[in-house]
Amino acid sequence: MSARVLVAMSGGVDSSVAAAILREQGYDVVGVAMRLAPETDARPARTRATCCSYEDFEDARRVAERMDFPFYVIDLRAEFGARVVDNFVGEYLAGRTPNPCVMCNREIKFDRLWERARALDAEFVATGHYARIKRDGAGRFHLLRAADSSKDQSYFLFSLAQDELSRTMFPLGAMTKTEVRARARALGLANAEKPDSQEICFVPEGDYARFVEQRASKLNGEIRPGKIIDLEGRALANHGGVHRFTVGQRRGLGIASGEPLYVREIRAQSGDVIVAPRAALGASGLVAREVSMVDPMTAAAGPVRAEVKIRYRHPALPATVTLDSSRGAEVRFAGGGPAVTPGQACVFYRGDEVLGGGFIDRAIEE
Amino acid sequence: MSIYLDHNAGSPIRPEAGQAALKMLARSDGNPASVHRAGQRARRALEDARAQVAALIGAEPRAVVFTSGGTESNNLAITGALKLAGNRRRVITAAIEHSSILMPLAELERGGAEVVRIAPDRDGRISPAAVVEALNDSTALVTLGLVNAEVGSILDAAPIAAAATRAGAIFHLDAAQAAGRIDTDVRALGCDLMTLSAHKLGGAAGTGALYIRRGCAIAPAILGGPQEGAMRAGTPNLIGAVAFGAAAEACGIALEPERARIAALAASMLARLCDEIPGLRLNGSRDGRVANTINLTFPQVLGESMLFALDLEGVEVSMGSACAAGAVEPSHVLLAMGRSAAEARSSLRISLGWSTTAEEIAAAAATIARVWRRVSQAEPIAAAAIEALR
Repeated sequence: MSARVLVAMSGGVDSSVAAAILREQGYDVVGVAMRLAPETDARPARTRATCCSYEDFEDARRVAERMDFPFYVIDLRAEFGARVVDNFVGEYLAGRTPNPCVMCNREIKFDRLWERARALDAEFVATGHYARIKRDGAGRFHLLRAADSSKDQSYFLFSLAQDELSRTMFPLGAMTKTEVRARARALGLANAEKPDSQEICFVPEGDYARFVEQRASKLNGEIRPGKIIDLEGRALANHGGVHRFTVGQRRGLGIASGEPLYVREIRAQSGDVIVAPRAALGASGLVAREVSMVDPMTAAAGPVRAEVKIRYRHPALPATVTLDSSRGAEVRFAGGGPAVTPGQACVFYRGDEVLGGGFIDRAIEE
Repeated sequence: MSIYLDHNAGSPIRPEAGQAALKMLARSDGNPASVHRAGQRARRALEDARAQVAALIGAEPRAVVFTSGGTESNNLAITGALKLAGNRRRVITAAIEHSSILMPLAELERGGAEVVRIAPDRDGRISPAAVVEALNDSTALVTLGLVNAEVGSILDAAPIAAAATRAGAIFHLDAAQAAGRIDTDVRALGCDLMTLSAHKLGGAAGTGALYIRRGCAIAPAILGGPQEGAMRAGTPNLIGAVAFGAAAEACGIALEPERARIAALAASMLARLCDEIPGLRLNGSRDGRVANTINLTFPQVLGESMLFALDLEGVEVSMGSACAAGAVEPSHVLLAMGRSAAEARSSLRISLGWSTTAEEIAAAAATIARVWRRVSQAEPIAAAAIEALR
């Protein structure tokens, strides 16, 4: 009997090829599509480039039929709503900029899906993420960037620890997107040319502010209007709520000024949004919370030199990471620091290897 | 080899039905409406099948109209009765009926009809007294399931039939889940219309019938040629009809012994499961229920997980209904019976039928108990927690 693998399928080309490859390798593949967003049925059918729609499930089902493995749609709407959507709304209301994909990976794909895998007697969970897992001679697992650096998704996976990595497969880790599409065509998969998903799957038309406003009352959350203030303390304008801003943002501030101004800090308590010229944005470091390390031994002995990525599409910057005893970490950048956005994930790399990461709590100025 | 325990969704084709269909496929007869002899041969086959189906429900053959299935029969009964109902705008149904009754009624309601939906008791039974009480002189139609698909409760139809007749209302029974399992004699039941579905009793999917008592006037829903006494235009599904006829005949011959056999198998399944799964609950009454349908609420698991895990172990059962996306939705019948959403989400339907053997029941019971133990340990989320998240 070959090992059973539960493959999370979105209907997109990546997870489809991941499942197909494992099937070809002889694994006992079980495909699952996750029903996550509560708005699934109400959404117009034309809205593509999102997951969880009816057509996406059909695309995944067609792949399962073609590759001859069982496929099920599992309903995780309640968990997704409570652990990802509510968190997303709460973070915006608190003046932070959440990354729901990181949260979904941690809370849904590698937590609830894992429990489901055990219920279905599967030994492994696989996804179409672009990242690699390596096991060394000592039996330790390492999480590495994908071979295709333009597609690398290791940033979203930092919360995986030894136990999870030992039971997880990323079949696409060594492939480029071009190779994945070519493989899909060779296998005759109907979704070989399907465009990549871009926006956050549960926010209609990418309108975060509106979504947060609609969901705020459900969480007893408060929309926090306030003032846009410059570094000298001058109020430049009023605004409709701190959830409409993210650190580093330039557009849509609604102020005219000689020099371009960017959001430097969001103070949710007072409602103040502090703006500054680009040169005044950089922080010298940051404090992270909910930090986890891929291998707990990595930073046990004291500060670690690493390259730290503070947004998915940002380059990793040299820094020193010091863990504390309550799952927090202090990150000090080696050179001039970037604009730090509370709520985003910060991920510690050493070369191609993910050491760990956490969520940005606040910038360090001094 | 998998064990199929989802006969309420559709039985495997009975050997008699399969042979009849194959014979028909090989004959290449003509259109039953044609005048030539090829047409006459086809017509004879169709009418033989009609007589076989009619015999199962004690009807005259000419009262049986072939349709594309239970859904079309229910739609024809409801829209057909309402079209000729004049000023009568009330329809009485139950909250536990099939979507092919509830959906057309919701549509008619938007058009001004008054729909009364009788709630079941906690065991999924509809009180005849409640139906009789809802009858008035503006009632056009009473449309109820004879056997409920989810929990198997049997309707006490006779008192309703008598009262409906007195009130001048048409009485429609959806017998899709009843035919071949219990006595479905239309005269004994006193109904004006009766829905039948071929694949629920071992015929092929895509075929059904509506019994229309002679003298009961309803309007056709599909217009065109004069086929099926002008009640259902279109060339009939001849191959489906002969399979349906053969399956109906086979059901009718073996009705009593088969009922006893299935009851014994179901009792053994239930006893084994209750022994092995503490806290297991049966949805539906112990009696007044078709024995083949066993609807169970499992403690400490999601029915969805059980359903998929059992499928991977080769035991095929069902849960609620599938939405357009293919996800499983909790049963509206269980919700109407007063079960919580969490209870409905932890429930599975096991339904036995003609192909079920004692060996299968023993093996399936062992597998279900084993899978329940694994799933309840692997996903330690109590039903109450799922409920709280909602």
